[in-house]
Amino acid sequence: MDLFTPDFGLIFWMFLAFAILFFILWKWAWPVILKTVDNRADLIDKGVEYAQSAKEQLDNARESAREVINEAQRKQAEMLRDADRMKTQIVEQARAAAQVEAQKVMDSAKMQIEQQQKEAQLQFRNQVSEFALQIASKVVKNELKDQKAQTQLVNSLLDEIESK
Amino acid sequence: MKSVADSLMWIIMLCRFVYIDTAMIRYISILLLSLFSFVMPVCTFAENEAAEEEKAKIDPKSIIFEHLGDGYGWEVPFNHHKRIPLPVIVIGTDGLHVFSSARVTHGQVYKDGDATFMIAGKDSDHHGKIVEIVNGKEERPIDISITKNVCALFISVIFVAGLLMWLARHHKKWNYKAPRKGLGAIEACVTFIYDDVIKATLHDKARKFAPYLLTVFFFILGMNLLGLIVVFPGGANLTGNIAVTLVLAILTFLVTNIWGTKHYWKEIFWPDVPLWLKFPLPIMPIIEIFGMFTKPAALTVRLFANMMGGHMIVIVLTLLIFIFAAVSPVAGGATTVVSVLFSLFMLCIDVLVSFIQAYVFTMLSTIFISLAQEHEHEKEEKKEEQNTKPVAVAVK
Repeated sequence: MDLFTPDFGLIFWMFLAFAILFFILWKWAWPVILKTVDNRADLIDKGVEYAQSAKEQLDNARESAREVINEAQRKQAEMLRDADRMKTQIVEQARAAAQVEAQKVMDSAKMQIEQQQKEAQLQFRNQVSEFALQIASKVVKNELKDQKAQTQLVNSLLDEIESK
Repeated sequence: MKSVADSLMWIIMLCRFVYIDTAMIRYISILLLSLFSFVMPVCTFAENEAAEEEKAKIDPKSIIFEHLGDGYGWEVPFNHHKRIPLPVIVIGTDGLHVFSSARVTHGQVYKDGDATFMIAGKDSDHHGKIVEIVNGKEERPIDISITKNVCALFISVIFVAGLLMWLARHHKKWNYKAPRKGLGAIEACVTFIYDDVIKATLHDKARKFAPYLLTVFFFILGMNLLGLIVVFPGGANLTGNIAVTLVLAILTFLVTNIWGTKHYWKEIFWPDVPLWLKFPLPIMPIIEIFGMFTKPAALTVRLFANMMGGHMIVIVLTLLIFIFAAVSPVAGGATTVVSVLFSLFMLCIDVLVSFIQAYVFTMLSTIFISLAQEHEHEKEEKKEEQNTKPVAVAVK
C-alpha cells in the first residue's frame, strides 16, 4: 500500500522543515514567550500575596485605629471627669474661701459690736455713776441738813472702814 | 441549469428590493440553495447526457488515494486538468535534475539532458511516482521533489512560525500584559500545553524540554488545521502521511534517549527483576528494548491513522454524491444534502480531533521523555503519573 510506505523525499524535507521551525522558535519565540509566561505567573502569585498582606495590614490598621479611638475616648472621658472634679474642687474652694471671708467679716462685726457694747456699757456706767452721784449728792444734800444724821452717816462709814 | 441560477439571482435581487432583512435573506438563500441542490443534478442530467458516461467511470478508490496521498502538482479547485506546478528535484543515474512538475503531470515523458523521466503509470510498482527510464526499465531515482505535501509542509512552517513570532513580538513589546483575541487564543494553547502538560509532568525540567514539545504541538496543530482547508494553501493530508508522523516520532525517540538518565538505561539493560529474568537469557532487557521502539511506533500510527481517517471520511462522503448521482439523479440530489451535512459535521469533529491529536502526541512525548528523566528516588512518584496519564487520554 502506498499509504503505509514512508516516502524518502518527504522524510528528508520533514526533518529539514522541523529543524528550521524548531531553530526559529527555539531562538526567537520560546525564550520570550516562556519567560513572560513564567514571569506573569510569578507576578500573579506575588500580586495575590501582596493583596493578602495588604488586606492583613489593612485589618491591622483598622484594629490599631480602633485602639487609638478607644484610647482617645478613654482619655476624653478621663479629662471630662478631671475637669468635673476640678470644677467641684474650685467651687468647693471658693465656697470655703467665701466662708472664711464671711467668718472674718462676721468676726470683725462681732468684735466691733462687742466693743461698741463695751463702750456703751462703759458710757452707760459712767452716766449711771454720774446719775448716781448726782442722785447721791442730792440725797446727801438732803440728808445732811440734819446734824445727827450726818454724824450717824460718818459713823457708819467709819464703822465700815474699820470692819474692813 | 443556467436558467435555475438566473432565477435564483432574480429572487435574491427581489428580496433585496423589498427590504427583507439580512437574516431573512440568509434563510431564504439556504432554502433555495438546498432546493437547488436537489434540482441541479436533475437539470444537468437532462441537459448533458454525456456527463452521465463520465460519472459512470468514477473510480472512488483511486480518487480517495489520490487525495490522501502525495502529488507532484497541487490541484486547483473546479479544474481537474490544471495543477499548480511544483519543482521536481531528483538525483538520477547521472546526477541532479530539477524541472517543473508541469512537464510530467499528465503522463508525458520528459527528457532532461540524457535522462528521461516520467510519472509511473497505474500498473507500475512505483505508481504515481517519478521514475527514470534507464534502458527501457523504470528505475526510481532519489526523489527529493517539492511535492504537494512538502509544499504544504513549508506553508505550515511559515504559518506556525508566523503565529508564534507574532505572539513573541507581542510579549516583547507588552511584557507580561496578556494578549487579547486571536493572540490570546494562541497563548491559551501555549499555557495549556506548558502549564498543564509539560510542567505537570516534567516539573523542574520543564523549561529544558518545553521548546521541543511546544514546537511539536504547534507544528502538528498547524498541519492538522491547514489540512482541513479544502483549497490551495491547505488540503494536503500531511499529518495523515506516515512519513511525517514517523519523523515526529523519531524526533521524540531521539530526544527521549539522548537525554535519558543513567537510571533509565539501567532500567532497560539491568532492570530491577529476579536474576533469572535477565541472566543468562536477557528476557526483560529484550522486552524493554522492544518497548523503546514500540513507543514511537505507537505515536506514529496514532496520529497518522486518526488524521487520515478524518480526511478519508470527508472524501468518501463527498464521493457518495457522485456515486449516487450516477445511479439516479434524484438519489444524487438527496445524497448531496445528506453528504454535505455529514461532511460539515465531520469537519467540525476534525477540528476537534486536530487539536486533540496534537495534544495527545505532545502529552505522550512528554510522558516518554519524563520516563527517561527518572532518578532512583523519583521512581515511585513517576510511576504514579504514568498510571494517571492514560486515564486522561481515555477521558479525552
